[in-house]
Amino acid sequence: MLSSVNFTHDTVIADLEAGLGTLTRLGNAQVDVVLLVVEATTKSLEVAARGADLAREKSLGRLIVIANRVRDEVDADAVRKAFPDDEVIAVPHDPAIVEADRHGVAALDAAPDAPAVRAISAMARNLLVMAGHNGSGAASV
Amino acid sequence: MKLAVVGKGGSGKTTTAAVVARTLARHGTSVVALDCDSNPNLGISLGVGDDETERLIAMRQALDEGEQEHAPGWDDLLDRFGTDAPDGVRLAVVTAIQNPEPGCP
Repeated sequence: MLSSVNFTHDTVIADLEAGLGTLTRLGNAQVDVVLLVVEATTKSLEVAARGADLAREKSLGRLIVIANRVRDEVDADAVRKAFPDDEVIAVPHDPAIVEADRHGVAALDAAPDAPAVRAISAMARNLLVMAGHNGSGAASV
Repeated sequence: MKLAVVGKGGSGKTTTAAVVARTLARHGTSVVALDCDSNPNLGISLGVGDDETERLIAMRQALDEGEQEHAPGWDDLLDRFGTDAPDGVRLAVVTAIQNPEPGCP
């Protein structure tokens, strides 16, 4: 499906089903960027390692590993060690995100300055640089 | 640019997707957010609220059950089955709209 989407929009972001099912079924080069969200737990790292392999096998563009809910340097290092050759972005554990989820609101509205929100936003702005975005809505597709 | 957000359930995938989508939109990019999760709650993380998220899911279920005709094209699909999220992000719940299997492709 992602291969065939053809919107008149600059950017399509797909929140895939939990786990790797969709990634397994994606054809080669169907996306430009894979954001692989991982926690520093054995199970999460295992799933993510397989996800990273799939992304590489299928040439799914730029792979960004998001080390989520990082509580300390030990957590961050565990993720970096598991993905030594990949770009790893650390997003801190942030009670503001938990609180936003509890209330069913967007973290970006409830806590725009929360450290986790800022870390994810900074990563997103970096993607715009990659896409050659010039601020006029003319990002490459 | 096409982005896929992947991860184990409960890893914070949906929150990440929502913050990325709205940040890109705030910087002048037109953004479509597709909720491909079999437990679709991207709408809540984007800030459209429970009720609107439920409405999108109900429309998707009507499609799945054949009570509602499919949209003929992607932009039609967004017009008819999507909703406007903050910062100009256009959201659609697409699980099973194009394919009976759960998930996107």
